[in-house]
Amino acid sequence: MSDSVTRLLSDAILTAGGTADTGSTVLTHVPQPVATPFAPAESVEHNAIRAIDVGGTAEATPPAAFMDGIQRYAVAGRFGLIPVIRGYVAAAVLARHDAELSAAGCREEELVIAPLSRLPDRAIRELEGTGMPLHDSGGERTHPIVDVHLAGQVVERRREELELQVAREYLGHTTFGWLVVDGSITAMVTLAGAARILGVVKSHETQYLDGADLRQALTLPAGHRTSVFARLGAERSMVRTWYLRLWPWEGRDLLYGLIRLERVAESALAEATEVSRWMLAERAPLSAPDGRWDRLIYPVHQVESYLRARAGEWL
Amino acid sequence: MSRGCERNPVGRVVATEAMPAGPHQFHFWTATETTLGIGAIVRVDDGVGRTVYAVVVDGRAYSDLLTALHDVVAAEGDPATVRPPTRRTEVRLWTAAVLRQIPDDPLQPVPLADVQLATTEDVEVALRMDSYVRGVAPAGLPIGLYTAGGTTAPVCLDADFLLGPESAHLNISGVSGLATKTSAVEFFIASIFQTFPAHKGSISAVCVNVKGPDLCYLDQPGELTDADREMYATMGLDPKPFESVQYFAPFKPDGININTLRSHPDLSDSVQPLVWGLREVLDYHEVLLNRDDIDAKSDAFIDFLADRVVEKEFVDDWGNTHRVSTFSHLERLFKAIFDGLEAQGRSDMWRTHHIATIRKVRNRLLNISVRCKGLVTDDGAVSDLPFGEFADRSIYVLDVAGMDQLAQDLVFTRVVSKLREHLERRDLGVEHVLVFVDELNKYAPGEGPDTYVRKMLLDISERGRYLGLVLFGAQQFRSQVHRRIVGNSGTTIYGRMDMDELATPGYQVLSPATKIKLATLPKGELMVRHPHFTQPVFVRFPRPPVLAGPLGVQRFPPVSDVAFEEAVVRQLAALDRDTDPAKIKQAIAGHREEAIRRALLATKRTRPDNVLSFFSAALGPPVSRPRVGDSFAGGTLLKAVDDPYGT
Repeated sequence: MSDSVTRLLSDAILTAGGTADTGSTVLTHVPQPVATPFAPAESVEHNAIRAIDVGGTAEATPPAAFMDGIQRYAVAGRFGLIPVIRGYVAAAVLARHDAELSAAGCREEELVIAPLSRLPDRAIRELEGTGMPLHDSGGERTHPIVDVHLAGQVVERRREELELQVAREYLGHTTFGWLVVDGSITAMVTLAGAARILGVVKSHETQYLDGADLRQALTLPAGHRTSVFARLGAERSMVRTWYLRLWPWEGRDLLYGLIRLERVAESALAEATEVSRWMLAERAPLSAPDGRWDRLIYPVHQVESYLRARAGEWL
Repeated sequence: MSRGCERNPVGRVVATEAMPAGPHQFHFWTATETTLGIGAIVRVDDGVGRTVYAVVVDGRAYSDLLTALHDVVAAEGDPATVRPPTRRTEVRLWTAAVLRQIPDDPLQPVPLADVQLATTEDVEVALRMDSYVRGVAPAGLPIGLYTAGGTTAPVCLDADFLLGPESAHLNISGVSGLATKTSAVEFFIASIFQTFPAHKGSISAVCVNVKGPDLCYLDQPGELTDADREMYATMGLDPKPFESVQYFAPFKPDGININTLRSHPDLSDSVQPLVWGLREVLDYHEVLLNRDDIDAKSDAFIDFLADRVVEKEFVDDWGNTHRVSTFSHLERLFKAIFDGLEAQGRSDMWRTHHIATIRKVRNRLLNISVRCKGLVTDDGAVSDLPFGEFADRSIYVLDVAGMDQLAQDLVFTRVVSKLREHLERRDLGVEHVLVFVDELNKYAPGEGPDTYVRKMLLDISERGRYLGLVLFGAQQFRSQVHRRIVGNSGTTIYGRMDMDELATPGYQVLSPATKIKLATLPKGELMVRHPHFTQPVFVRFPRPPVLAGPLGVQRFPPVSDVAFEEAVVRQLAALDRDTDPAKIKQAIAGHREEAIRRALLATKRTRPDNVLSFFSAALGPPVSRPRVGDSFAGGTLLKAVDDPYGT
């Protein structure tokens, strides 16, 4: 698109009261449909979602550890048309002492995934003989893409289980300090010490708010948070959450610099502003050149780097 | 004594395609908190029999920051923002140059294994000192301490490679004013005198003091700290001053006060006058007369004088017999020639030499006694170094600091040439002599005319090791010294260096980090290159065991010049404190100054038990003082050469 067309379109949008994005990502393919685009929630801090200035960054950050997990999988072979998938999952905790990160817990696992009901017995025996855990990816009909996709879901679940295990172990042998996890804490709300867990959600596929509340959340100015609200349904009802804008979004994508924080404790409401100020302090150092640097805090990025380094040239 | 470090790995060798490990160099990483630094010696074992010793020559640190802009963005453009809660991941990557591999054949790339800090024993092996500090005939000469990574270990030079015959000479460079060069050499000589093995023979040193009081107090104890004493103990040395030191200095132009800062009454008895006559000077006329002064014709005439006239019975064309042994005699000969030619009406040639050439040589030679006044006498009295009687572990200091460059050149050239002559004949008294000269760039500059001094130094640097004549040269800028002289120096020492100097081609082999370390070296630290060390090694050395020049001047303030009579009294009293000054004055009454000087020189040279008796006997009976123009035995007293209006 030429500059003149960009200018023409921007002028039209601005004239009509809209906002013009200048840093949008150029897309070429239609993204996969969002599995759960909407979910229920209710405001617990205010009647309606508000934008709250958190008052800048925290001068001192609390003791904290950071957890993340990675997964890898690839087709290792086939029995006829049926693929056998080799998977690798790992999760680690890096604890921060005097601004230095060091490993405080790590688990890795190699696994094998295949649609076991469609494999001959001999193949299953041989795969079990490798000593690696053998997982069933399910599926009734052979499909070269779907079979791999189903195996990937098994790997993802196993990674989530490993993360849960590492979080449990870390919380079990420490008595204080936060555990900041990458993503939602839904699976961890029943853990002992779950009150010390803070989830940092970078993707916003599922929207919990609607109407003016959603507008308030997605147009937050930098350094502001939303009112705390509760995700509804099963364990989710125990989760308190709020949005926080790390970097100014104006002129960019709506989700630029926007994270959603999750906690389970009752004190979440009282501590939301303080925790938000702390998270604002985590903007530095920048996790660039990672493309998600506007939402990915550096310590979590380092956990990823640590795990990638351990995985090395997997395969 | 030296302490080793724990056998825990401090790093791990890494190699990538772009940055591989080779047989000569490799890279390794360490934790950010490490005792390692530039110059530290490390060890790598592959676990199956190969051990590599290396010295760290470069280090880099970097983080995962891709561009500085990311840091600016994170700080929102304000460096005063609160420190980030997390420090970026940082790596310390070091480059090490291989010192030694065991086994050395086949030579292979360094194994990708753990890196350990070198222990005391490792340092000895890494620097190949194990081949000469132990065994039935050890020949290690401590030059300082390796102190890095928590390890302290003596570093020794091989006597065969420092003092010959395998290689020889030592050259030291460093900026002035940091008490490095002179202090280091004083310490080295002390170390050599204490550790030079008996089976290698005897050794003495000649030090030329060209500036200030630097070398004037070598026999006085220095001020040492406990740390200095511990360093001496670690090297097995005794921190004591030199026991045998003789000082030589010329007279001042007054011909009686000695031209040295070591003139305090408590010390002056150890200073001998350095006085030379015509013969001593004529042999080295090339030093004093440059090419502009002397052409082939003049050379021929000077050779004629040296071969046919000086110290011989010579009959001129007019029947006069001359025995020329002093500048005064020489002047009388010239006058006889000029008078004879004029009387005969032949004013152009004398014995194939043109009158103009004779006049030119006369002017140049007779002016030497003026230009080098105090050193060169025209009355024949000579006081020289004890060539032939040099003593083992003795130092002979030539204090020429108060003289002009020309006289310094003469002293240096003649003394070194005489040393060489005696060493060639094996009759010097010792088998090895090390000659220390500062400001080598003045005597052997890399550029400029090819002087006699430089030629002599080149000759020593290239052949001296076979004779036992070893040059310890010092200068501020190595690049300004003749390449063959510094190139022939088997051992090279570097103190703190000027960055401009380090930018010259002679330092290209050093890594940037090593250069920076050289540019910021603290006092008492040096970089050493030695034939056994495949890479430069940094060492620390203690303060020398002798009194530093400036402190010496404070403790022994030089006395001011005194009148002739008082000077004679003081110098004789310094030899024998019981001598009655009144009797000395009585003894010299009625004697000519020249006669008194000769007697004084003879007394100082002989150092008799009864100073006054010896002096009086040397003085002989008094004679009336002649005036200029009076006749006396041998001719007419001439006016001073530098005083055309004298009467």
